[in-house]
Amino acid sequence: MATRPKRYAMVVDSKKCLNCKACVVACRAENSVPLDYSRPWMNEETRGVWPRLMASSHPEQCHQCAHPACVRVCPTGASYHRPDGIVVVNQDDCVGCRYCMIACPYDARFFRQDKGVVEKCDFCVQRLGRGQVPACVETCPSKVRVFGDLNDPGSKLSELLSTREYRLKKPEAGTGPQIYYLI
Amino acid sequence: MKTIEWGFLIVNYLFLGGLSAGLFFVSALATFFYRIDEPSPYTRIARLGAFLAPWPVMIGCLLLIFDLGHWYRFYKLFLHLRLVSPMSIGSWLLVLFNLVALVNCYAWLTENQRSALFAKLPGALQFLGNLNYDLDHWRRRIAIVGLPISVGVGIYTGVLLGAVQSRPFWNTNLVAQLFLFSALSTGCAALILGLAGSKRTAQELRLLYGLDICFMVLEFFIVLPYLIHGELSVQAVQDSLKLILGGPFTILFWVLFMGLGLLTPLVIELRELVPVMVSNREFHYNRFVAAAAAVLILGGGFLLRYVFVFAGQMSAMQ
Repeated sequence: MATRPKRYAMVVDSKKCLNCKACVVACRAENSVPLDYSRPWMNEETRGVWPRLMASSHPEQCHQCAHPACVRVCPTGASYHRPDGIVVVNQDDCVGCRYCMIACPYDARFFRQDKGVVEKCDFCVQRLGRGQVPACVETCPSKVRVFGDLNDPGSKLSELLSTREYRLKKPEAGTGPQIYYLI
Repeated sequence: MKTIEWGFLIVNYLFLGGLSAGLFFVSALATFFYRIDEPSPYTRIARLGAFLAPWPVMIGCLLLIFDLGHWYRFYKLFLHLRLVSPMSIGSWLLVLFNLVALVNCYAWLTENQRSALFAKLPGALQFLGNLNYDLDHWRRRIAIVGLPISVGVGIYTGVLLGAVQSRPFWNTNLVAQLFLFSALSTGCAALILGLAGSKRTAQELRLLYGLDICFMVLEFFIVLPYLIHGELSVQAVQDSLKLILGGPFTILFWVLFMGLGLLTPLVIELRELVPVMVSNREFHYNRFVAAAAAVLILGGGFLLRYVFVFAGQMSAMQ
Protein backbone atom coordinates (compact mmCIF):
# COMPACT_ATOMS: atom_id res chain seq x y z
CA MET A 1 0.00 0.00 0.00
CA ALA A 2 1.29 3.43 -0.93
CA THR A 3 2.07 5.63 2.03
CA ARG A 4 -0.23 8.57 2.47
CA PRO A 5 1.47 11.96 1.92
CA LYS A 6 2.12 13.74 5.16
CA ARG A 7 0.62 17.13 6.02
CA TYR A 8 2.30 18.47 9.12
CA ALA A 9 0.48 20.88 11.41
CA MET A 10 0.45 21.94 15.05
CA VAL A 11 -2.17 22.26 17.74
CA VAL A 12 -1.55 24.81 20.51
CA ASP A 13 -3.40 24.64 23.81
CA SER A 14 -2.62 28.15 25.09
CA LYS A 15 -4.41 27.61 28.41
CA LYS A 16 -1.65 25.23 29.43
CA CYS A 17 1.09 27.75 28.62
CA LEU A 18 3.14 28.85 31.64
CA ASN A 19 4.99 31.49 29.63
CA CYS A 20 8.29 29.90 30.66
CA LYS A 21 9.69 30.44 27.14
CA ALA A 22 11.51 27.10 27.16
CA CYS A 23 10.29 26.67 23.57
CA VAL A 24 12.07 29.85 22.50
CA VAL A 25 15.30 28.74 24.18
CA ALA A 26 15.14 25.20 22.80
CA CYS A 27 14.51 26.52 19.30
CA ARG A 28 17.41 28.92 19.58
CA ALA A 29 19.75 26.10 20.63
CA GLU A 30 18.49 23.66 18.01
CA ASN A 31 18.57 26.07 15.08
CA SER A 32 21.52 28.26 16.13
CA VAL A 33 19.38 31.40 16.22
CA PRO A 34 21.25 34.40 17.70
CA LEU A 35 19.82 36.19 20.73
CA ASP A 36 18.54 39.14 18.69
CA TYR A 37 16.04 36.98 16.82
CA SER A 38 13.51 34.30 17.58
CA ARG A 39 11.51 31.85 15.50
CA PRO A 40 8.68 31.20 17.99
CA TRP A 41 7.45 34.04 20.20
CA MET A 42 4.92 34.75 22.95
CA ASN A 43 1.88 36.99 22.70
CA GLU A 44 1.20 38.10 26.24
CA GLU A 45 -2.01 39.73 27.31
CA THR A 46 -3.28 41.03 30.63
CA ARG A 47 -6.71 42.51 31.29
CA GLY A 48 -8.52 43.98 34.27
CA VAL A 49 -7.36 45.22 37.66
CA TRP A 50 -6.29 43.04 40.58
CA PRO A 51 -7.96 40.97 41.98
CA ARG A 52 -10.19 40.72 38.94
CA LEU A 53 -7.70 40.22 36.20
CA MET A 54 -6.74 37.85 33.48
CA ALA A 55 -3.30 37.07 32.10
CA SER A 56 -2.71 34.85 29.13
CA SER A 57 0.11 33.90 26.81
CA HIS A 58 -0.26 32.50 23.33
CA PRO A 59 2.79 30.99 21.74
CA GLU A 60 3.06 31.71 18.05
CA GLN A 61 5.37 30.88 15.18
CA CYS A 62 5.17 30.48 11.42
CA HIS A 63 1.72 29.12 10.60
CA GLN A 64 3.03 26.93 7.75
CA CYS A 65 0.13 28.19 5.64
CA ALA A 66 -1.49 26.05 2.98
CA HIS A 67 -1.44 29.00 0.56
CA PRO A 68 1.53 30.98 1.84
CA ALA A 69 1.77 34.62 0.77
CA CYS A 70 5.52 34.55 1.39
CA VAL A 71 6.01 31.78 -1.16
CA ARG A 72 3.87 33.58 -3.73
CA VAL A 73 5.76 36.86 -3.57
CA CYS A 74 9.28 35.41 -3.39
CA PRO A 75 11.06 36.52 -6.58
CA THR A 76 13.56 33.67 -6.68
CA GLY A 77 11.57 30.73 -5.33
CA ALA A 78 13.85 30.59 -2.28
CA SER A 79 10.74 30.33 -0.09
CA TYR A 80 8.92 27.19 -1.05
CA HIS A 81 6.23 24.81 0.10
CA ARG A 82 7.36 21.26 0.75
CA PRO A 83 4.99 18.42 -0.17
CA ASP A 84 4.54 17.72 3.56
CA GLY A 85 3.15 21.25 4.04
CA ILE A 86 6.16 22.88 5.66
CA VAL A 87 7.22 26.27 4.28
CA VAL A 88 10.99 26.59 4.16
CA VAL A 89 13.58 29.10 2.96
CA ASN A 90 16.43 27.90 0.78
CA GLN A 91 19.15 30.24 2.02
CA ASP A 92 21.24 29.77 -1.11
CA ASP A 93 18.54 31.30 -3.28
CA CYS A 94 17.40 34.03 -0.86
CA VAL A 95 18.56 37.48 -2.01
CA GLY A 96 17.37 39.23 1.14
CA CYS A 97 14.77 41.47 -0.51
CA ARG A 98 12.43 40.95 2.51
CA TYR A 99 9.29 41.00 0.38
CA CYS A 100 8.19 37.78 2.14
CA MET A 101 8.46 39.48 5.54
CA ILE A 102 6.19 42.25 4.34
CA ALA A 103 3.74 39.76 2.83
CA CYS A 104 3.49 37.54 5.92
CA PRO A 105 0.29 38.40 7.83
CA TYR A 106 1.80 36.94 11.01
CA ASP A 107 5.16 38.73 10.87
CA ALA A 108 6.68 35.30 11.45
CA ARG A 109 9.87 35.93 9.51
CA PHE A 110 13.00 37.85 10.40
CA PHE A 111 16.01 39.17 8.54
CA ARG A 112 19.40 37.86 9.62
CA GLN A 113 21.63 40.90 9.24
CA ASP A 114 24.74 38.73 9.62
CA LYS A 115 23.77 36.32 6.84
CA GLY A 116 21.76 38.70 4.67
CA VAL A 117 18.91 36.21 4.38
CA VAL A 118 15.44 35.68 5.82
CA GLU A 119 14.73 32.95 8.37
CA LYS A 120 11.65 31.42 9.94
CA CYS A 121 10.32 28.39 11.79
CA ASP A 122 10.47 25.28 9.66
CA PHE A 123 9.14 22.78 12.23
CA CYS A 124 12.80 21.70 12.71
CA VAL A 125 12.90 19.77 9.43
CA GLN A 126 16.31 18.38 10.35
CA ARG A 127 14.78 16.72 13.44
CA LEU A 128 11.77 15.39 11.53
CA GLY A 129 14.22 13.61 9.24
CA ARG A 130 15.57 11.78 12.29
CA GLY A 131 12.09 10.82 13.42
CA GLN A 132 12.00 13.45 16.19
CA VAL A 133 9.42 16.15 16.86
CA PRO A 134 10.31 19.90 16.68
CA ALA A 135 12.48 21.16 19.56
CA CYS A 136 9.76 23.47 20.92
CA VAL A 137 7.31 20.56 21.11
CA GLU A 138 9.76 18.25 22.82
CA THR A 139 10.89 20.74 25.43
CA CYS A 140 7.52 22.19 26.47
CA PRO A 141 7.00 21.21 30.15
CA SER A 142 3.22 21.58 30.04
CA LYS A 143 2.68 20.00 26.62
CA VAL A 144 1.14 23.09 25.07
CA ARG A 145 2.13 22.12 21.55
CA VAL A 146 1.02 18.94 19.80
CA PHE A 147 2.75 18.27 16.51
CA GLY A 148 1.54 15.73 13.99
CA ASP A 149 0.29 14.67 10.61
CA LEU A 150 -3.17 15.91 9.57
CA ASN A 151 -3.46 13.04 7.13
CA ASP A 152 -2.98 10.44 9.86
CA PRO A 153 -6.39 9.90 11.49
CA GLY A 154 -4.73 8.05 14.36
CA SER A 155 -2.46 10.95 15.36
CA LYS A 156 -2.99 12.84 18.60
CA LEU A 157 -3.28 15.99 16.50
CA SER A 158 -6.16 14.59 14.42
CA GLU A 159 -7.87 13.40 17.57
CA LEU A 160 -7.70 16.85 19.17
CA LEU A 161 -8.94 18.57 16.03
CA SER A 162 -11.93 16.26 15.74
CA THR A 163 -12.91 16.38 19.41
CA ARG A 164 -12.06 19.92 20.48
CA GLU A 165 -13.06 23.38 19.31
CA TYR A 166 -10.27 25.47 17.89
CA ARG A 167 -9.62 28.78 16.20
CA LEU A 168 -7.19 29.96 13.57
CA LYS A 169 -5.41 33.30 13.65
CA LYS A 170 -6.28 35.79 10.88
CA PRO A 171 -8.02 33.26 8.62
CA GLU A 172 -9.31 36.27 6.67
CA ALA A 173 -5.80 36.71 5.27
CA GLY A 174 -6.66 33.75 3.07
CA THR A 175 -3.36 31.98 3.53
CA GLY A 176 -4.76 28.84 5.17
CA PRO A 177 -2.81 28.84 8.47
CA GLN A 178 -1.97 25.46 10.00
CA ILE A 179 -1.47 26.34 13.66
CA TYR A 180 -4.67 25.40 15.45
CA TYR A 181 -5.40 27.11 18.77
CA LEU A 182 -7.64 25.06 21.07
CA ILE A 183 -10.41 27.02 22.73
CA MET B 1 8.25 41.05 15.51
CA LYS B 2 6.91 43.75 13.21
CA THR B 3 9.68 45.87 11.75
CA ILE B 4 10.01 48.42 8.97
CA GLU B 5 11.90 46.46 6.34
CA TRP B 6 11.73 48.74 3.35
CA GLY B 7 13.17 52.17 4.03
CA PHE B 8 14.55 55.18 2.22
CA LEU B 9 16.34 53.22 -0.50
CA ILE B 10 13.04 51.71 -1.59
CA VAL B 11 11.21 55.06 -1.35
CA ASN B 12 13.86 56.61 -3.59
CA TYR B 13 13.75 53.74 -6.03
CA LEU B 14 9.97 53.90 -6.33
CA PHE B 15 10.24 57.61 -7.06
CA LEU B 16 13.13 57.36 -9.52
CA GLY B 17 11.63 54.35 -11.34
CA GLY B 18 8.34 56.21 -11.70
CA LEU B 19 10.12 59.37 -12.84
CA SER B 20 11.90 57.50 -15.62
CA ALA B 21 8.71 55.72 -16.65
CA GLY B 22 6.95 59.11 -16.87
CA LEU B 23 9.79 60.71 -18.83
CA PHE B 24 9.83 57.86 -21.31
CA PHE B 25 6.04 57.81 -21.61
CA VAL B 26 5.77 61.51 -22.41
CA SER B 27 8.76 61.34 -24.74
CA ALA B 28 7.24 58.35 -26.57
CA LEU B 29 3.88 60.12 -26.86
CA ALA B 30 5.61 63.15 -28.39
CA THR B 31 7.51 60.85 -30.74
CA PHE B 32 4.24 59.76 -32.33
CA PHE B 33 3.46 63.34 -33.32
CA TYR B 34 6.80 64.76 -34.39
CA ARG B 35 8.01 64.90 -37.97
CA ILE B 36 11.61 64.06 -38.64
CA ASP B 37 12.24 66.94 -41.07
CA GLU B 38 10.28 69.68 -39.30
CA PRO B 39 11.10 71.35 -36.03
CA SER B 40 8.03 71.10 -33.82
CA PRO B 41 7.36 71.36 -30.09
CA TYR B 42 7.05 67.59 -30.03
CA THR B 43 10.65 67.18 -31.14
CA ARG B 44 12.09 69.02 -28.16
CA ILE B 45 9.85 67.18 -25.70
CA ALA B 46 10.63 63.80 -27.22
CA ARG B 47 14.36 64.47 -27.33
CA LEU B 48 14.67 65.85 -23.80
CA GLY B 49 12.51 62.99 -22.43
CA ALA B 50 14.60 60.41 -24.26
CA PHE B 51 17.83 61.95 -22.96
CA LEU B 52 16.65 62.09 -19.34
CA ALA B 53 14.70 58.82 -19.07
CA PRO B 54 17.40 56.15 -18.60
CA TRP B 55 19.30 57.73 -15.71
CA PRO B 56 16.89 57.96 -12.75
CA VAL B 57 15.78 54.36 -13.15
CA MET B 58 19.39 53.20 -13.33
CA ILE B 59 20.17 54.94 -10.05
CA GLY B 60 16.95 53.42 -8.68
CA CYS B 61 18.04 49.93 -9.69
CA LEU B 62 21.36 50.43 -7.93
CA LEU B 63 19.49 51.47 -4.79
CA LEU B 64 17.38 48.31 -5.05
CA ILE B 65 20.47 46.17 -5.36
CA PHE B 66 22.08 47.80 -2.33
CA ASP B 67 18.93 47.23 -0.33
CA LEU B 68 19.31 43.46 -0.69
CA GLY B 69 20.84 41.32 2.05
CA HIS B 70 24.08 41.07 0.04
CA TRP B 71 24.20 43.28 -3.02
CA TYR B 72 26.28 40.79 -5.03
CA ARG B 73 23.50 38.21 -4.89
CA PHE B 74 21.17 40.28 -7.08
CA TYR B 75 21.99 38.08 -10.10
CA LYS B 76 19.91 35.33 -8.52
CA LEU B 77 16.83 37.40 -9.36
CA PHE B 78 17.62 36.72 -13.01
CA LEU B 79 18.05 32.99 -12.64
CA HIS B 80 14.27 32.72 -12.12
CA LEU B 81 11.10 34.12 -13.60
CA ARG B 82 8.15 33.67 -11.28
CA LEU B 83 4.98 35.07 -12.78
CA VAL B 84 3.16 34.97 -9.42
CA SER B 85 5.73 37.25 -7.81
CA PRO B 86 5.36 40.96 -8.66
CA MET B 87 9.00 41.47 -7.72
CA SER B 88 10.19 38.84 -10.16
CA ILE B 89 8.15 40.32 -13.00
CA GLY B 90 9.34 43.78 -11.98
CA SER B 91 13.03 42.82 -12.02
CA TRP B 92 12.78 41.60 -15.59
CA LEU B 93 10.68 44.58 -16.58
CA LEU B 94 13.33 46.93 -15.21
CA VAL B 95 16.07 45.26 -17.24
CA LEU B 96 13.95 45.54 -20.36
CA PHE B 97 13.04 49.15 -19.63
CA ASN B 98 16.65 50.14 -18.98
CA LEU B 99 17.68 48.68 -22.31
CA VAL B 100 14.85 50.29 -24.28
CA ALA B 101 15.39 53.65 -22.57
CA LEU B 102 19.11 53.54 -23.39
CA VAL B 103 18.48 52.63 -27.03
CA ASN B 104 15.87 55.38 -27.23
CA CYS B 105 18.31 57.87 -25.73
CA TYR B 106 20.86 56.87 -28.36
CA ALA B 107 18.31 57.07 -31.17
CA TRP B 108 17.59 60.69 -30.31
CA LEU B 109 21.23 61.82 -30.51
CA THR B 110 21.95 64.03 -33.49
CA GLU B 111 24.63 62.96 -35.91
CA ASN B 112 27.09 65.46 -34.44
CA GLN B 113 26.38 64.28 -30.91
CA ARG B 114 26.89 60.67 -31.95
CA SER B 115 30.18 61.44 -33.63
CA ALA B 116 31.34 63.42 -30.62
CA LEU B 117 30.38 60.53 -28.34
CA PHE B 118 32.25 57.92 -30.32
CA ALA B 119 35.26 60.20 -30.73
CA LYS B 120 35.60 60.32 -26.95
CA LEU B 121 36.00 56.54 -26.65
CA PRO B 122 39.38 55.46 -25.27
CA GLY B 123 41.71 53.53 -27.56
CA ALA B 124 40.77 50.07 -26.36
CA LEU B 125 37.07 50.74 -27.02
CA GLN B 126 37.50 52.30 -30.44
CA PHE B 127 35.95 49.21 -32.06
CA LEU B 128 32.60 50.37 -30.61
CA GLY B 129 32.71 53.05 -33.30
CA ASN B 130 31.18 50.40 -35.57
CA LEU B 131 27.95 50.92 -33.61
CA ASN B 132 27.61 54.45 -34.94
CA TYR B 133 24.29 53.76 -36.63
CA ASP B 134 21.69 56.31 -37.52
CA LEU B 135 18.51 55.23 -35.72
CA ASP B 136 16.44 58.32 -36.61
CA HIS B 137 13.88 56.27 -38.50
CA TRP B 138 13.56 53.79 -35.67
CA ARG B 139 12.45 56.35 -33.10
CA ARG B 140 8.77 55.71 -33.61
CA ARG B 141 9.19 51.95 -33.48
CA ILE B 142 11.24 52.19 -30.29
CA ALA B 143 8.52 54.41 -28.82
CA ILE B 144 5.83 51.87 -29.71
CA VAL B 145 7.79 49.05 -28.06
CA GLY B 146 8.81 51.14 -25.08
CA LEU B 147 5.46 52.76 -24.30
CA PRO B 148 3.82 49.65 -22.78
CA ILE B 149 7.07 48.81 -20.96
CA SER B 150 7.17 52.28 -19.41
CA VAL B 151 3.54 51.93 -18.32
CA GLY B 152 4.54 48.54 -16.90
CA VAL B 153 7.38 50.06 -14.86
CA GLY B 154 5.14 52.90 -13.67
CA ILE B 155 2.33 50.61 -12.60
CA TYR B 156 4.45 47.76 -11.29
CA THR B 157 5.77 49.76 -8.35
CA GLY B 158 2.18 50.07 -7.15
CA VAL B 159 1.37 46.44 -7.91
CA LEU B 160 4.40 45.45 -5.81
CA LEU B 161 2.75 47.07 -2.80
CA GLY B 162 -0.88 46.39 -3.71
CA ALA B 163 -0.34 42.64 -4.11
CA VAL B 164 0.37 42.23 -0.40
CA GLN B 165 -2.79 40.99 1.31
CA SER B 166 -1.44 41.43 4.80
CA ARG B 167 -0.96 45.21 4.56
CA PRO B 168 -4.46 46.72 4.34
CA PHE B 169 -3.09 50.17 3.53
CA TRP B 170 -1.73 48.82 0.25
CA ASN B 171 -4.06 46.00 -0.62
CA THR B 172 -6.13 47.71 -3.32
CA ASN B 173 -5.71 48.05 -7.06
CA LEU B 174 -6.00 51.83 -6.67
CA VAL B 175 -2.44 52.00 -5.35
CA ALA B 176 -1.11 50.74 -8.69
CA GLN B 177 -3.14 53.33 -10.59
CA LEU B 178 -2.20 56.08 -8.17
CA PHE B 179 1.49 55.30 -8.57
CA LEU B 180 1.16 55.15 -12.35
CA PHE B 181 -0.43 58.58 -12.73
CA SER B 182 1.88 60.07 -10.15
CA ALA B 183 4.81 58.63 -12.14
CA LEU B 184 3.54 60.11 -15.41
CA SER B 185 2.96 63.44 -13.72
CA THR B 186 6.48 63.53 -12.25
CA GLY B 187 7.84 62.73 -15.73
CA CYS B 188 5.92 65.70 -17.11
CA ALA B 189 7.15 67.89 -14.27
CA ALA B 190 10.79 66.97 -14.92
CA LEU B 191 10.32 67.96 -18.57
CA ILE B 192 8.64 71.22 -17.60
CA LEU B 193 11.57 71.92 -15.30
CA GLY B 194 14.03 71.08 -18.06
CA LEU B 195 12.30 73.26 -20.65
CA ALA B 196 11.31 76.20 -18.43
CA GLY B 197 14.92 77.36 -18.31
CA SER B 198 15.37 77.74 -22.05
CA LYS B 199 13.79 80.38 -24.26
CA ARG B 200 10.98 80.01 -26.79
CA THR B 201 9.46 76.94 -25.21
CA ALA B 202 5.91 78.27 -24.86
CA GLN B 203 4.43 75.69 -27.19
CA GLU B 204 6.21 72.83 -25.47
CA LEU B 205 5.13 74.00 -22.05
CA ARG B 206 1.56 74.42 -23.21
CA LEU B 207 1.49 70.80 -24.33
CA LEU B 208 3.15 69.56 -21.16
CA TYR B 209 0.79 71.60 -18.97
CA GLY B 210 -2.20 70.05 -20.69
CA LEU B 211 -0.84 66.54 -20.27
CA ASP B 212 0.23 67.14 -16.70
CA ILE B 213 -3.18 68.53 -15.76
CA CYS B 214 -4.78 65.33 -17.11
CA PHE B 215 -2.42 63.18 -15.05
CA MET B 216 -2.89 65.20 -11.86
CA VAL B 217 -6.68 65.25 -12.17
CA LEU B 218 -6.64 61.48 -12.63
CA GLU B 219 -4.32 61.16 -9.65
CA PHE B 220 -6.66 63.27 -7.54
CA PHE B 221 -9.67 61.22 -8.55
CA ILE B 222 -7.84 58.04 -7.57
CA VAL B 223 -6.88 59.36 -4.14
CA LEU B 224 -10.51 60.24 -3.42
CA PRO B 225 -12.00 56.78 -4.07
CA TYR B 226 -9.00 55.24 -2.32
CA LEU B 227 -10.03 57.10 0.83
CA ILE B 228 -13.79 56.69 0.40
CA HIS B 229 -13.62 53.02 -0.47
CA GLY B 230 -11.17 52.42 2.35
CA GLU B 231 -13.52 54.02 4.87
CA LEU B 232 -16.34 51.79 3.60
CA SER B 233 -14.19 48.68 3.78
CA VAL B 234 -13.48 46.23 6.61
CA GLN B 235 -12.15 47.33 10.00
CA ALA B 236 -8.52 46.53 9.18
CA VAL B 237 -8.58 48.91 6.20
CA GLN B 238 -10.35 51.62 8.19
CA ASP B 239 -7.73 51.26 10.92
CA SER B 240 -4.91 51.47 8.39
CA LEU B 241 -6.35 54.68 6.94
CA LYS B 242 -6.14 56.22 10.39
CA LEU B 243 -2.41 56.51 9.71
CA ILE B 244 -3.19 59.35 7.30
CA LEU B 245 -6.46 60.44 8.90
CA GLY B 246 -5.23 61.67 12.26
CA GLY B 247 -2.23 59.36 12.57
CA PRO B 248 1.50 60.07 12.16
CA PHE B 249 1.32 60.64 8.39
CA THR B 250 -1.61 63.06 8.38
CA ILE B 251 0.34 66.28 7.81
CA LEU B 252 2.70 64.67 5.34
CA PHE B 253 -0.20 63.30 3.33
CA TRP B 254 -2.69 66.12 3.46
CA VAL B 255 -0.59 69.26 3.70
CA LEU B 256 2.62 68.32 1.95
CA PHE B 257 1.46 65.74 -0.61
CA MET B 258 -2.16 66.60 -1.28
CA GLY B 259 -1.91 70.36 -0.68
CA LEU B 260 1.55 71.36 -1.86
CA GLY B 261 2.45 68.39 -4.06
CA LEU B 262 -0.78 67.90 -5.97
CA LEU B 263 -3.45 70.59 -5.64
CA THR B 264 -1.15 73.64 -5.62
CA PRO B 265 0.68 72.72 -8.85
CA LEU B 266 -2.64 71.68 -10.37
CA VAL B 267 -4.11 75.11 -9.62
CA ILE B 268 -0.95 76.84 -10.88
CA GLU B 269 -1.05 74.96 -14.18
CA LEU B 270 -4.79 75.46 -14.60
CA ARG B 271 -4.34 79.15 -13.86
CA GLU B 272 -1.71 79.39 -16.61
CA LEU B 273 -3.49 77.28 -19.19
CA VAL B 274 -7.24 77.78 -18.83
CA PRO B 275 -7.39 81.52 -19.75
CA VAL B 276 -5.37 80.73 -22.85
CA MET B 277 -7.71 77.92 -23.87
CA VAL B 278 -10.85 79.92 -23.15
CA SER B 279 -9.88 83.14 -24.93
CA ASN B 280 -7.62 81.55 -27.55
CA ARG B 281 -4.85 83.98 -26.65
CA GLU B 282 -1.21 83.25 -27.14
CA PHE B 283 0.32 81.29 -24.29
CA HIS B 284 2.75 83.30 -22.16
CA TYR B 285 4.32 81.51 -19.30
CA ASN B 286 6.29 82.60 -16.32
CA ARG B 287 9.32 80.36 -16.15
CA PHE B 288 9.64 80.69 -12.38
CA VAL B 289 6.04 79.70 -11.83
CA ALA B 290 6.49 76.76 -14.21
CA ALA B 291 9.63 75.66 -12.39
CA ALA B 292 7.96 76.06 -9.00
CA ALA B 293 5.00 73.92 -10.08
CA ALA B 294 7.37 71.27 -11.42
CA VAL B 295 9.42 71.18 -8.23
CA LEU B 296 6.23 70.87 -6.16
CA ILE B 297 5.04 67.95 -8.30
CA LEU B 298 8.38 66.17 -7.99
CA GLY B 299 8.34 66.69 -4.22
CA GLY B 300 4.75 65.47 -4.06
CA GLY B 301 5.62 62.33 -6.03
CA PHE B 302 8.42 61.57 -3.62
CA LEU B 303 6.24 62.18 -0.57
CA LEU B 304 3.47 59.97 -1.91
CA ARG B 305 5.91 57.08 -2.07
CA TYR B 306 7.36 57.93 1.32
CA VAL B 307 3.92 57.90 2.95
CA PHE B 308 2.83 54.70 1.22
CA VAL B 309 6.01 52.74 1.91
CA PHE B 310 6.15 53.59 5.60
CA ALA B 311 2.44 53.73 6.44
CA GLY B 312 1.85 50.51 4.52
CA GLN B 313 4.40 48.65 6.58
CA MET B 314 2.91 50.00 9.78
CA SER B 315 -0.54 48.76 8.82
CA ALA B 316 -1.49 45.20 9.68
CA MET B 317 -4.47 42.93 10.05
CA GLN B 318 -5.79 42.86 13.57
